Amino acid sequence: MTAPLLSVRNLTIDYIGEADDFRAVDNVSFDVAPGEVFGLAGESGCGKSTIAFAISRLHKPPALIRKESAILLDGRNVLDLDQKGLADFRWREVAMVFQSAMNSLNPVLRIEQQFYDVLKTHKGMSRAAARDRTAEMLKLVDIAPDRMRDYPHQFSGGMRQRIVIAICLALDPRLIVMDEPTTALDVVVQREILQRINELRRKLGFAVLFITHDLGLMVQFCDRIGIMLGGKLVEQGTADAIYRTPEHDYTKKLWASFPSLHGGVLR
Amino acid sequence: MKKSSFPLIRNRKAMVGALIVAFILAVAIAAPLLTSYDPSARVGRPHQAPSWEHWLGTTRIGQDVFARLLYGARTSLAVGFGAGLLITAVGTALGIIAGYRGGKVDEVISFFTNMVLVVPNLPLLLVLAAFIGQASPWVIALILGCTSWAWGARVTRAETLSVKQKDYVKSAEMMGEPRWRIMTFEIFPNLISIVGINFIGSVIFAIITQATLEFLGLGDPKVVSWGTMLYGAQKASALSVGAWWDILTPCFALAFLGIGLSLLNFAVDEIANPRLRTGNRLGRWSALIRSGEGRL
Amino acid sequence: MAFLLRRLCFYLAAFVAAATINFFLPRLMPGDPVQIMFSSAGAELPPESLQALKLTFGFVDGPLWQQYLTYLGSIFSGDLGRSIKYFPLPVTTVLGNALIWTVGLMGTATLVSFALGTFLGILAAWRRGSLFDVIVSVGAIFATSVPAVVTSLIVVFTFGFTLGWFPTGYAADPALDPAFSLEYLGSVAYHGILPMLTLCAVLTGGFAVTMRNNMINLLGEDYIVMARAKGLSDTRVMLWYAARNALLPTVSSLAIAIGTVLGGSLVTEVVFNYPGLGNILYQAILARDYPVIQGQLLIMTATMLIANFIVDVSYVLLDPRLKRA
Repeated sequence: MTAPLLSVRNLTIDYIGEADDFRAVDNVSFDVAPGEVFGLAGESGCGKSTIAFAISRLHKPPALIRKESAILLDGRNVLDLDQKGLADFRWREVAMVFQSAMNSLNPVLRIEQQFYDVLKTHKGMSRAAARDRTAEMLKLVDIAPDRMRDYPHQFSGGMRQRIVIAICLALDPRLIVMDEPTTALDVVVQREILQRINELRRKLGFAVLFITHDLGLMVQFCDRIGIMLGGKLVEQGTADAIYRTPEHDYTKKLWASFPSLHGGVLR
Repeated sequence: MKKSSFPLIRNRKAMVGALIVAFILAVAIAAPLLTSYDPSARVGRPHQAPSWEHWLGTTRIGQDVFARLLYGARTSLAVGFGAGLLITAVGTALGIIAGYRGGKVDEVISFFTNMVLVVPNLPLLLVLAAFIGQASPWVIALILGCTSWAWGARVTRAETLSVKQKDYVKSAEMMGEPRWRIMTFEIFPNLISIVGINFIGSVIFAIITQATLEFLGLGDPKVVSWGTMLYGAQKASALSVGAWWDILTPCFALAFLGIGLSLLNFAVDEIANPRLRTGNRLGRWSALIRSGEGRL
Repeated sequence: MAFLLRRLCFYLAAFVAAATINFFLPRLMPGDPVQIMFSSAGAELPPESLQALKLTFGFVDGPLWQQYLTYLGSIFSGDLGRSIKYFPLPVTTVLGNALIWTVGLMGTATLVSFALGTFLGILAAWRRGSLFDVIVSVGAIFATSVPAVVTSLIVVFTFGFTLGWFPTGYAADPALDPAFSLEYLGSVAYHGILPMLTLCAVLTGGFAVTMRNNMINLLGEDYIVMARAKGLSDTRVMLWYAARNALLPTVSSLAIAIGTVLGGSLVTEVVFNYPGLGNILYQAILARDYPVIQGQLLIMTATMLIANFIVDVSYVLLDPRLKRA
């Protein structure tokens, strides 16, 4: 068994209120192997997005990551990184795709600028070199490179999500965290995007932490899956195992709530 | 220390603001108890400096400044709150009607509102007041009410548009409730915080504008108000002759009242829109970070 | 482009509305409108001049609509009548000279306040909850809740009369002749400092709070989080992602603020005896010089509309979503 790329150990995250706290994530541990697609499933509010944010340490007060938690990327604890280390780490090692593509891109900057700022900051690239790299990335997601001087509002929702994925790949990260990347898009576009991500993954070798509430989608797309309920990771296993032999009550309930395609009776 | 659950009390700014306004109100009401002078009568020598006899000195005509301050508070407050009420009432009504009815009604009201918004307020008031002549405070309150409702209307309309979509409004519509009932009993109660902010803002505006109009000579100089005090002092060139008490008294009174109302307004805004709060609510969080219990 | 054209039509309509108000005011007051309008003329005004004045303001024989059109005709051909106080100077001349001073004072003050206020607002939002934020927010409350009248008087009292650092009146040293000389311009600047200071004190707070609130309202947006996730520097995120977007609604508020500026500068000019529109208006009101009073409503409305239009153009340039519309 190869060493895991991402190792989340005893992750506990609280939101500190004025009188009491809310435990959003409760002692969660899981591993993601290099190049693997690991899915985190659960209903809204179960803590999966909180975990996603924690990996790049994007939380703001009053969120608090408890001291016993560890998030190891290639053995290094992300939670121990200093300001500079964190700035380096972000996007280079871990990139992130958010749910609403409509909003992930800065509305007042051209697409090429949104690539350039990342390429300049991390690699010190010149504008010309950045333009080449941008064109390369856009081609990977089937967006015409000559549109790089356009603004985000000139693209459709699906195209914007693809552009975000392209920006994610610009620095060749080891892990891409996707938080409900296709929920806001229609089913056909959803499928195209996921297929594209799969191809790129095979080609470039990054791992994916895939977060969604859609268990059915997850089973088709992921290698391994974790089920979350109320901040706890209640079950973990291969997609196959989760599908055929769910162990936890909640997992079974999730499956039971799916209407059968063949018109069977809802239990 | 047990914290009160009433949000207005918890907020320090609101407390200070409310205290200031309450204090001024109390002083205005208690005016006859606090001074024996008639504010309009000549009771001393012209431009006497503050002394035991006249705590804040006298005006050019020998009137007691302190008495004028107290009685003037009554007028300024009355016009301020009166005009503020009128402005808010008109603005809220038009805003709700435009927002809820939509369509042609909305277009007409919005067009009219934008037009009023874009004509500069003070110049318009000046022209109106110039034609009216010496405007008594009530006339001033009336014309303020008729010209300054536009901003409130716009804001109220925007809020109404979002409240309109809520379920309880839709269900009331389906049950066949008449439109005026829906607007009064379903929509309006949910706009309370916006209306509150609107009201306090309008009062501040009314007080400032009334004082400005009177300062420029458009008020009735026989009336005792903080604005006419400014007018009298300016006419008497109080600053040039060194009678600072004559002009600075109404200045500080107006500033004090303005600050009190604004603090109240700011606090109401923060309660309505918690994202805008200032000040640290992260005491516990910071303590945990410091003790090493966790990190970000 | 269509957006700008629509705005232009709207502004034209607003200008006509202001003219309409001017038209109806004397006719709605109790008494003879002609008497009211020209009451201050007295005996010095020759009858032909009075006749010409009446014509300009639409006091002709005929139905109301004809009078109205006559008046509109005068305005749109640039004839605002003649001032009674400064007879025979045309109103446009009286107001025109003053306009330059007001635009200079107002324009500079607005730009400085906008820049300073926006900058303070950005920092206050970025350092939310800090002492700096509290100082800026509360300071802004104080500045905007105090009437311009009061601020001007306190400023002139403190810096002008008591400390004697700056002159207490006039646009420039009255002993100097107006010229484009360094001496004169220097005097203009020196005399302009206190009024400028007053106006900036009145305006900066409002801009600071607006920008701060706009920034805070969008700090939760996904593109801000993504910018941080990209490992971009704090400064870059603050300026290019947050501030650049918060600037849009702040620029919109600039349009409304111009109304406040007009009012504030009016009062400031009276206190500092500055020869701008405000002061001219003040004198006109004292003298009941109605042609000038009415003329200034039109000029001030026009100023407001032009300023609003400039803001509209800026908004279109700043928001790429509108550029193509």
